[in-house]
Amino acid sequence: MTHISPELIHTLSLLMILTSFAAVEARNLRHSTVAYLAQALLICGLLFAYSTQNSALLYWAVTALITKAVLVPWFLWNATAGHEQETKPLIGFGPSAVILIALLAVMYKLTHMHASLFVAQTQELAEIANTNLAVAFTVFVLGLYAILTRRDAIKTVIGLCLLENGVHLSLVSLAPTIRETALAGIATEVVVTVYLLLYIIGGIRSKFGTTDTFKLSELHW
Amino acid sequence: MNHSAVETASVLPALVIFVPTATALLIFAFGRFVSWLRETLAFAGVTFALILSVIIGYKTLHGEILTSFETQLYADSLSALLISMVSLVSFVAVVYSLKYMRHQVKEGGLPHTTTSGRLTAFYGWLMLFISTMIWACLSNNIIMLYVAVEASTIASGLLVAFYWDKRALEAGYKYLMLLTVGITFSLFGCVLLYATGSNLPGVGGAKGLLISELKLHASSFPITTIVLASAFLIIGFGTKAGVAPFHPWLPDAHAEAPTPVSALLSGVMIKVAMYALVRTVTIFYPSFSPVAMFALGLGVFTLVIGDLMALAQDDLKRMLAYSSVSQIGYILMGFGIGTQLGIYAGLFHMVNHAIAKALLFLAAGAVIYSTGMRNISQLGGLAKKMPITSFCFFIGALAVSGIPPLNGFHSKLALFVAGADAGNWWAVGFGIAASLVTLVVLLKAAKNIFWGKESEAVADTSVREAPLTVVISMLILAILCLGVGLYPKAVYPPIKEAASYVQTINTSNKKWRLLKTRRSGNHMTEVRKKC
Repeated sequence: MTHISPELIHTLSLLMILTSFAAVEARNLRHSTVAYLAQALLICGLLFAYSTQNSALLYWAVTALITKAVLVPWFLWNATAGHEQETKPLIGFGPSAVILIALLAVMYKLTHMHASLFVAQTQELAEIANTNLAVAFTVFVLGLYAILTRRDAIKTVIGLCLLENGVHLSLVSLAPTIRETALAGIATEVVVTVYLLLYIIGGIRSKFGTTDTFKLSELHW
Repeated sequence: MNHSAVETASVLPALVIFVPTATALLIFAFGRFVSWLRETLAFAGVTFALILSVIIGYKTLHGEILTSFETQLYADSLSALLISMVSLVSFVAVVYSLKYMRHQVKEGGLPHTTTSGRLTAFYGWLMLFISTMIWACLSNNIIMLYVAVEASTIASGLLVAFYWDKRALEAGYKYLMLLTVGITFSLFGCVLLYATGSNLPGVGGAKGLLISELKLHASSFPITTIVLASAFLIIGFGTKAGVAPFHPWLPDAHAEAPTPVSALLSGVMIKVAMYALVRTVTIFYPSFSPVAMFALGLGVFTLVIGDLMALAQDDLKRMLAYSSVSQIGYILMGFGIGTQLGIYAGLFHMVNHAIAKALLFLAAGAVIYSTGMRNISQLGGLAKKMPITSFCFFIGALAVSGIPPLNGFHSKLALFVAGADAGNWWAVGFGIAASLVTLVVLLKAAKNIFWGKESEAVADTSVREAPLTVVISMLILAILCLGVGLYPKAVYPPIKEAASYVQTINTSNKKWRLLKTRRSGNHMTEVRKKC
């Protein structure tokens, strides 16, 4: 078994936090898309690094490169053509930054305190897995935060992508020996969901004249 | 438990998924060019799937467990019951669609591409939706179970937004967004189960992905993992099943989707999610029974919320959707009771509700078809002009409310007896009270729509009974409601057999006790592979 460098994994993981924050906080939807693209490339990098442990992950790394780093950003780029500015969110930059730091601290504490809850691994791998899990949970919660607090429908889709990235990172950390078929299924689904959501949001824009989710008020109770 | 069940490699589980998928692809490829092909292919696809499901049901009832792709697809009696239910309701929905959707698309003047394109998209996605639901019920791989359940959301997303007006688009957006976020939680749960399971001695590697393997080793899982994984799975699959408080997508999607899709969403899709929940969470019942108590509490909460919300609705389809939330509460209550009788009652109510609620949605669709109205307050006196629809709606309403001699009565009675037997009198009390509310809600709606003075909308001379295919599909379900109600013994063997594949808890002496014999029964399952 080839050893993977913990430093490399830590650096890539921590960069994921920064890209998540940038994707959530950028007011220009195209800047947000670029931040998401950077995160997708980081995930691919992580998967390539992990593939020394499990060759199935190499297959997933290539799939992720196509789906997360090419197709999803491409869909988002097209969907934001002519509508680059995001609808003003509920919570602004300052409070978001505080929330992010708090989230990260809580997730680090949780994953490191309850490491035994997850997989029994060698000490070195467990350390990497714990860091990755803390990052994965933070990215996941940030995605959820974006879906709940951003008014722009396209931004909520970006939030959904972050949420999925968080889950996928945790998946690699918890189950590095997972099979190709399962990985392919998970990866394909995200991209189809994002495409369909953006397609429906296109319809919403043409009927409602906006992608502000607060204006979607036809259905109550 | 069928102790002598034999695992047999078979092409049937793969075929029953493949048929509707292939039909969908053919419809997408050729539907635009040959107008009769869409309906013919869809009808042929669901008929074939129904026949295959019945054959699988017959074989599993006679001591076989059918597997495909090694044991990745796994059809025991529980899976067979679910796929038969999905195929039957799908068959009826497709028959109903034949005239209904052509009318909706042509007369409704729907924008967005041509009539031919719209119908092709409708039947293509519908068949994919059906195949993904069947796939979910047959998947033995825990990650693929998640993938199949999510695939059914994707396949139905555009069907929910099919009418492409403001309401449909809003419903479609909420549907896809909320269900994807919700179901992601269940992926966490599934991964946690796999990660823990695959590290147990004797599981390892790809085996750790198989539910049938994890079930055998569930007692070795740490309690903290059980709690965490169960919470994720209940939130995830519970969101899709319409369990409160994760239900807000349900009334929007059910009400705005075309009627045959509403019947499928309410009749079977939410049950498929409930099936996924049962398959994964009940494996911990023998070793950690508080999970069952949590499910029971959530079930009772759901049935109360659903009924109260249904009371406040004027939109017919929305009212039926909230009623579905309440009925899902009953089903979860059965699984939460967790005893053999509770599981049996939950499964029986699942089947009864699938038939009766699909019937109610189809009848509501027939009313909308003929009058163009969907608000209960705007309708009245329809019984004279639409006698068959009126009869079917009343049958459905009485069945869902649990009035004898219709099917819902038997499952609700079994449910209340199971609750009382397990000492959960409080849950039985809520269940009976909510049943009375359901009766009031549905009969009040039926009375307002079909009896009394004809409303202005109904007085229009053009209002008449729905077309033949619509009427036939409603009558099939109405006859089933009556048939199962009058002769419940007919469905007893498959449901009892299906229930024996779910892990149970024993609550005799009013204490949560483990039923050790259940797991030893699993070990007795003879495994024999045929090439």
